Amino acid sequence: MKRIRLSWTHGAALLIAAFVAAPLYWMAASSLKGRTEIGASPPDAWPKDGTLANYRDAFLDNDFGTYLLNSVAVAVVATVLVLGLSSFAGYALARLPLRGKAPIMVALLMISLFPTIALAAPLFLLMRELGWLNSYQGLILVYTALNVPFAVWILRNFFLGIPKEMEEVAWVDGASPLRTVVSVILPQARPGMFTAAIFTFTACWTEFLIALTLNTADRYRTMPVGLALFGSQFTIPYGTIFAAATVSVLPIALLVLVFRRAVVSGLTAGAVKG
Amino acid sequence: MSDVSPGGAGQPDDDEPVTAYGRTGPPLPPDAPPGPLSGATPDPVPTPEPGSVPTPVPARARPRRPPSGAPVTGRPGRGGERRGSGRSLLDRRFARLGWCFATPALLVVLAVTLFPVSFSIAMSLSDVEVSADGFRLSGFTADHYRLVLGSERWRHALMFTVLYTIGTVLVELLLGTLIALVLERLGGAGRGWMMALLLLPWAMITVVSAQLWAYMYNGVYGVLTTLSENVTGEPVQFLGTRVPAILSMAVADIWKTTPFVAIIVLAGLMMLPSDVTEAARVDGAGAWTAFWRVRLPLLRPALTIAVLFRILQAFGLFDLPFVLTGGGPGDATESLALLGWQAMFTNLDFGPGAAVAASTAGLVLVGCLLFLRAFRARVGDEEAGR
Repeated sequence: MKRIRLSWTHGAALLIAAFVAAPLYWMAASSLKGRTEIGASPPDAWPKDGTLANYRDAFLDNDFGTYLLNSVAVAVVATVLVLGLSSFAGYALARLPLRGKAPIMVALLMISLFPTIALAAPLFLLMRELGWLNSYQGLILVYTALNVPFAVWILRNFFLGIPKEMEEVAWVDGASPLRTVVSVILPQARPGMFTAAIFTFTACWTEFLIALTLNTADRYRTMPVGLALFGSQFTIPYGTIFAAATVSVLPIALLVLVFRRAVVSGLTAGAVKG
Repeated sequence: MSDVSPGGAGQPDDDEPVTAYGRTGPPLPPDAPPGPLSGATPDPVPTPEPGSVPTPVPARARPRRPPSGAPVTGRPGRGGERRGSGRSLLDRRFARLGWCFATPALLVVLAVTLFPVSFSIAMSLSDVEVSADGFRLSGFTADHYRLVLGSERWRHALMFTVLYTIGTVLVELLLGTLIALVLERLGGAGRGWMMALLLLPWAMITVVSAQLWAYMYNGVYGVLTTLSENVTGEPVQFLGTRVPAILSMAVADIWKTTPFVAIIVLAGLMMLPSDVTEAARVDGAGAWTAFWRVRLPLLRPALTIAVLFRILQAFGLFDLPFVLTGGGPGDATESLALLGWQAMFTNLDFGPGAAVAASTAGLVLVGCLLFLRAFRARVGDEEAGR
């Protein structure tokens, strides 16, 4: 009885794994196929003569290298800003006697759940006034603001779990508030910082609507925009797209694999956008 | 277990009732009054979430709590409470410090979200003139809403978005729960690897997955077209006609987001106290009854979060139709967000576009409130306070 059940479970797990992995395999395999093979019908299950031509095309002849760097730059800077802003705000909302904490937390949540389409037009007009269309700072500012609420929630929960004695000792020893937060509290909340960082990074990395609205100039496109707008109406160069796409999946895959625990704990902490 | 427990889990919040939502709880029952949120549960000691294994509250934490669910505002701060005399001074200093810490973050959020949203609403209610050197709002008019809400296209987009959301979220919930149950049984290293694999589609750029599925659905050389030809004898044109296009898009969506649901449900499953299931088994409940009658009800909080977030995401559906179908064939897969975006940025009709956007946002809010209310009513008091 027990053995049968065990193998049934394994069978189901394999099926699930296959369903999840098959499209990913297809993407990676197609990125290695030559120009004729990628449009072959019926398609080959395995790239017959593997070639890196698509990767050359994407990163040397086209601008996917720039898009990738733009994505990394925007996501990294936004993540750093989000962590900086949210750790102090999260600490204040967890520990300091502020009036109206509850309404603030609820408002933050409502905001973090808001559909971005409602922000697209006013942000476009705002950035146009500021001259920040097609810039890094415009996108970074928006991404920072969109991800602060969730990060505040995560970090606040972590701060609440840190024993109060730690900071009391620091106060008594005469540490300044800033010092207390930076050298006593933040190190304790490292797992929370990780989680918040990974979620912010992933959200920025995948965001499309706002990036499409604000940064359409070739030089400032992020990866999602670059991938969506590549090709003409009549031909879609899938080989090039998948070469770039495969490269874009790698960093996030690495991040997710290495910090699996942090990601899962963030998912369970109640929320995810993206 | 440690794989999924949130960082500070186990230890109940030693703080005010905002955390009545719980760490893993549904983030907001917004129908609760924003003030004394704990109103529903005047419980001095925080109730651990029903799902989690209760750990003893550290002895020191108890006496510090205010006597009962006192409103958050107006309660003397804890910093002062303990120090006796001079507390108001200290308290005020701590409060000032708190605002110093919190204000930058709040300001950024306000500037980039609340201000644009109000502006969006204003824009949807006035005449908008956009020219090369700026834009002007003038007068008050409900014309945009009349125009939009009266149009066939908007009604279609609304129908599509609502039905698509309900359909995909239901399937994802079902599949996600099944996957979570399989993974729970799998245990050990296998589960770790499976979770890593499941996180990949979730963390992927949606545009990438849309391009990928577009390629696989391609009518000439798509692998799925070929496979369908092998199975049915005739190639299926996945994106060519209305219903298949909608279903094909739903499959692509389900592929990407079911893992998210599965992981949340799995985390919920692993937090269930094992003694409950054991008790059910000892009492003679079969595996099915034990799941249906005992574990599923306990899973409801986890399921609620998953569903809530999926509904919100699905309602903002944009990336997938933009790349995969362009809203077509015809307007079959045109979602509200796509319609609004195209109105604003393709046709430069900012007024009607803003009306679409604002009404979408309004619908999302109302939908969430209704969902949470239904959820709370069903669950009753014992969980409602979470």
